[in-house]
Amino acid sequence: MSEPILSARDVVIKFSLRGQTLTAVRGASLDLYEGESVAIVGESGSGKSVFTKSWIGMLDANGWVDSGSILFEGKDLAKFKTEEEWLTIRGKKIAMVFQDPMTALNPLRTIGSQIQETLELHQGLRGQEAKRRTIEILAQVGISEPEMRYRQYPHEFSGGMRQRVVIAIAIACNPRILICDEPTTSLDVTIQAQILELIRKLQKELKVTLVYITHDLGVVANVADRVAVMYAGEIIEYGTVEEIFYDPRHPYTWALLSSLPQLGIKGQPLYSIRGTPPNLFNEIRGDPFAPRNPQALKIDFVKSPPFFQVSPTHYAKTWLLDPRAPKVEPPEIVKAMRAKYERYAV
Amino acid sequence: MLKYSLRRLLHSLVTLFMVLTLVFLLMRLLPVEGYYGERADKLTPAQKEAILRKMGLLDPWYVQLRNFYLQLLRGDLGVSVIYRANVPVKEILAAKIPYSVAFGLGALVLSLVAGLAMGIHMAQNKGLFWDKFWTWYVVFINAVPGAVYLLFIQLYGTSITGLPMLFDRYNVRSWILPLVSMSLSGIAANAMWLRRFMVDELNKDYIRLARAKGMSSRAIMVKHVLRNAFVPLANYLPASILFTISGSIYVESLYSIPGMGGLLVTAISRQDNPLVQALVLIYSSLGILGLFLGDVLMAILDPRIRLEKQGGAR
Amino acid sequence: MMTAKEKEVIQAIEEQELFTFAQYDPEAAERTGYSDYSYWRSTIRVFLRNKTAVFLLILMTSLVAFTFIQPYLPGQKDPIKIHIDPNTGLQLRNHPPDKEFWFGTNSIGQDLWARLWSGTRTSLLIAIIVGIWEIVFGTFVGAIWGYVRPLEAFLTEAYNVISNIPTTIILMLIAYILRPSFQTMIIAMCATGWLGMARFVRNQIVIIRDREYNLASRCLGTPTGRIIVKNLLPYLVSVMVMRVALSIPGTIGWEVFLTYIGLGLPLNIPSLGNLLNEGRRVMMAPALRYQLFFPAVVLSVITVSFYVLGNAFADASDPRNHF
Ligand SMILES: Nc1ncnc2c1ncn2[C@@H]1O[C@H](COP(=O)(O)OP(=O)(O)O)[C@@H](O)[C@H]1O
Ligand SMILES: [Mg+2]
Repeated sequence: MSEPILSARDVVIKFSLRGQTLTAVRGASLDLYEGESVAIVGESGSGKSVFTKSWIGMLDANGWVDSGSILFEGKDLAKFKTEEEWLTIRGKKIAMVFQDPMTALNPLRTIGSQIQETLELHQGLRGQEAKRRTIEILAQVGISEPEMRYRQYPHEFSGGMRQRVVIAIAIACNPRILICDEPTTSLDVTIQAQILELIRKLQKELKVTLVYITHDLGVVANVADRVAVMYAGEIIEYGTVEEIFYDPRHPYTWALLSSLPQLGIKGQPLYSIRGTPPNLFNEIRGDPFAPRNPQALKIDFVKSPPFFQVSPTHYAKTWLLDPRAPKVEPPEIVKAMRAKYERYAV
Repeated sequence: MLKYSLRRLLHSLVTLFMVLTLVFLLMRLLPVEGYYGERADKLTPAQKEAILRKMGLLDPWYVQLRNFYLQLLRGDLGVSVIYRANVPVKEILAAKIPYSVAFGLGALVLSLVAGLAMGIHMAQNKGLFWDKFWTWYVVFINAVPGAVYLLFIQLYGTSITGLPMLFDRYNVRSWILPLVSMSLSGIAANAMWLRRFMVDELNKDYIRLARAKGMSSRAIMVKHVLRNAFVPLANYLPASILFTISGSIYVESLYSIPGMGGLLVTAISRQDNPLVQALVLIYSSLGILGLFLGDVLMAILDPRIRLEKQGGAR
Repeated sequence: MMTAKEKEVIQAIEEQELFTFAQYDPEAAERTGYSDYSYWRSTIRVFLRNKTAVFLLILMTSLVAFTFIQPYLPGQKDPIKIHIDPNTGLQLRNHPPDKEFWFGTNSIGQDLWARLWSGTRTSLLIAIIVGIWEIVFGTFVGAIWGYVRPLEAFLTEAYNVISNIPTTIILMLIAYILRPSFQTMIIAMCATGWLGMARFVRNQIVIIRDREYNLASRCLGTPTGRIIVKNLLPYLVSVMVMRVALSIPGTIGWEVFLTYIGLGLPLNIPSLGNLLNEGRRVMMAPALRYQLFFPAVVLSVITVSFYVLGNAFADASDPRNHF
């Protein structure tokens, strides 16, 4: 592969909360390549949003990038301090779509003006020209009668339609990277599929690099070329979709796959991961998943594993890949997955 | 929008009707001395009864109530008995209202301009020095009775600035202190509410999207936060003029301004019942009008109410 | 990067040993999560973090305690006794503050220091009576309003009517109708004070009622009343504390107002409003301004303190500030 367009290295993100410090992201690394589509998956609270928000300088006021680097267009975004610096990136080069479209739009301003605002901001379009372009974009995200819709207010739109508007705002300025943070989580299932379809279509049309965040592995195969699995603020395994689904190596990925309802084996109870993620206020020693892993090794509790290479595109952060480790079989469900997956992905 | 306003108007009229009736009932409880006029001590019981009879106060209650409504419909507010004996209340009010309106509007403008500036400044510096500084102002004005600080403003305001101590309609300088005094509580209230509304808006999700678009904090403040915070503010503003009745009563009496607030105090202390009744009716109606205007204003500004029940898509 | 301690631990355990399975402890898996939450502990913790509020709480506790023990301290004078100048045999009028009369005397020779604390007692007493009435009656009406469906429309309309008339006007009218006295003052303030509390309780009950209405728990026989009490009580108690605290600046303000327009307490009952009025009458003479100054300062300190305390407690008791 060529040079990554964005390269996040060992990013550590902390928050101060009531006089205590909480580490939400502990050394996450990820490379993005031009035009690809990467899914970041993990339980909620694993730091997916925080990690990606740090790329556009949108951490909450009590949070900061403590160490690590985020290289983009020759600049280290982790070193950005002022709002002026971020305004050259945010919305213009890297755009983000958030989870809840019902509250994402200003209820008191027309749909048109909220999209047009972005165009005026980044592309210097004005007046009729900006309006014409706005209507074009509305049509592009699949909104019928865009001229009429242009003048309407958010409350006249359904949830799915609002998410289309939010996506329209995000793509209005042809960003290089589009981050979709659980864009379908709060929508009905049928609408979810439509929005997913739209995102895929736009990614192909605009050749934008897509980062798709979800806690639902089920949708990943539909949007992504590559998958990164996140747990307790670390990326613990990444590879192509096939590698993660056919040949997962980290026990957490196994657990995640086993809990997928679509992949469950008939007659067997649905698997769910026991316990809760670690308390982020505490220092974590060793592998953060160890306390919840019935097959954890003793070393998991003392020393954090490095990344082991499985293939040139597939890496996993688990001691199980160490030559000294005992052989541990993945769960039945994961083994049975291969056949199922072939039918499922089509 | 029109439909909403009409529905709202109807509701206000019902409330007004009930408030008027309530006032009528309270008025029947007023001390009867308040009807006898100047020579109350020298009147014989028979003369007193004659006065009450003449005013219709000895009629059965339903007759009184009917007359009360009929009088109001005719716009008849009765006749003063002591304050200016036998002069129609309307005539007395006509002389006072211009002052009250002038000061009321002046104080409204001043408290809007200064209060909104203060509120914006607080919201922008939320949690920092200036926020805390102005919060102390708001706390002081809200907690301490107006009489206390208004007295000191008159006492030291005049000696430090050399402004006149008493109101004189022909001297513009004599308007300054009363106007400022009357605005103080309005400034505090406007600043406090605007700050609260702006902070509410700042915590909403759409602000995050506006930031993600790449808008500067300043642009977000102006184009989203302030704009949206004005809606609840517009709702509360018209009625807020009435929160300052006690303020205007203090100020009018301190500076001898011939307005309605001072008149109410005089009417009560001199026991002029018809005058008291007229003023109570006016103030209560203004309260209802204020709430009505606030709701209509909000409906104009908020499309969610504006388009309600017009079959907006889905 | 390994810490020295990590190195030690690793060396201590055989390398082979490290790559064997650890004991799986389901308890430990659950333990990694977050700790539990207690409403009152969090409320107190958040309140104590507010240094100004803690200071004012101490100040006001001492002040209130002082006003109530002050008459029993040695060397205190009677607040309504008129002192006579032994040299002239006349009333000791407008005697400036000195060792004998700490805050001086008023225009008929009464001791201002004693009157000030007596007045503070009166005003606090009114405030507490009104505050307690407000929470008791307000909660009662609010509960009926939210819970007794047939009365809902009536109470809503009644609330609309009363809250549409400016409070100033209602207070003045009641005070005028009933003639000024201690009872009148309390009745007038009680007549309007409960509105806010009633609406608060009603709104909370409606929120819970509508949520519980659809729930199976009702079919299972848990009475809504129990649900309301259990869910609402802690929050309600803190709102009550806040209301009583805020009723102090509120009632003092109205007392001052009613006194100012001539509908206050009789002159023989010292109150903050009466003292302020006495001071106002002599304020044009700079030498006598102490008679305005002392009551004004005490009154301001008390009202501001309780206002800040009430709001600080309201913030602390809001579960949204507890995380
Ligand atoms: N402003 C903040 N202050 C404190 N903690 C935060 C803040 N934002 C996020 N966190 C913490 O960071 C962790 C990761 O959050 P997030 O990235 O939103 O998870 P995900 O998106 O994977 O569900 C969570 O435990 C959350 O509590
Ligand atoms: Mg998230």
